[in-house]
Amino acid sequence: MGLALGAVFVYASLDKIAKPLDFARILYHYQVIGPSATLPPLLPNLVAVTLPWVELVAGVMLIVGVLRREAAAVTGILLVVFLAAVGSALYRGIDIENCGCFVVSGEGRRAGLHLILSDVALLAAAAFLVRARPLTSTGPDA
Amino acid sequence: MLFVVRALAIVILGCGLGLAWNSASGRGLALSQNVFVKPGDELVDAAAAKTRLDKGALFLDARPIDFYEMSHVPGALPLPEEHFEKAFAAIEPRLRGSFDVIVYCAGYGCEASHIVSRKLKQRGVPAAILHEGWPAWTEAGYPVREGKQP
Repeated sequence: MGLALGAVFVYASLDKIAKPLDFARILYHYQVIGPSATLPPLLPNLVAVTLPWVELVAGVMLIVGVLRREAAAVTGILLVVFLAAVGSALYRGIDIENCGCFVVSGEGRRAGLHLILSDVALLAAAAFLVRARPLTSTGPDA
Repeated sequence: MLFVVRALAIVILGCGLGLAWNSASGRGLALSQNVFVKPGDELVDAAAAKTRLDKGALFLDARPIDFYEMSHVPGALPLPEEHFEKAFAAIEPRLRGSFDVIVYCAGYGCEASHIVSRKLKQRGVPAAILHEGWPAWTEAGYPVREGKQP
């Protein structure tokens, strides 16, 4: 399960890392962290350049099995943030044509119920991994 | 506690790599700059736009037509970004005869006014962009008009 969740996060990070400007553009569309009358573009731009790398590092750690529970916790927190952003956009009637989940330029997944359900499924997997016994355990009594 | 520190270390490592890549890759973002704005875009704030409206500037509404019909800047013509070609053809003579054109859209998360402005420029119609769009106009208390008529 760690391998699958890690692969999802590594794949999700690649296009965002290659095209930070397009990812920033999508973050603007959410209208959660700016820019706005009170929030400068600095915050969404910072998120655009750092978040994909957090996804990549956590994903790689899940795949190779280093700090697996901690990496799963990070992916879980990211998924909660994603769910909050999508839920907030839907609640305010903002139409997000491309959620920025995997592909940031051209056609992407629309933010909607399907996206929420898939994020919840990934969140359940992350929670399972956080609670799972570390791989270094040698047996049921270890 | 160690668990939290390790998780934080993953986040910090990711952020550090991201910032380093942004400055070293050659295709990073200018962090303090709005990514919707490109060189050559002319931005005007709401007060300047109102002054230009009073002097006869033509306003273009780049939002979907339903939003235009709900409320728009008095005198503005609809030029929704998703139907640009058709809408442009319908109003081209009027655009060619205008000395001052300003485009606006739904505001902070909206890129349509920037896209429409660039398309107009490609067709030889220079057009300024209302900075922060429709919300800036309405929050300033400037006049609006409802319905299909400009």
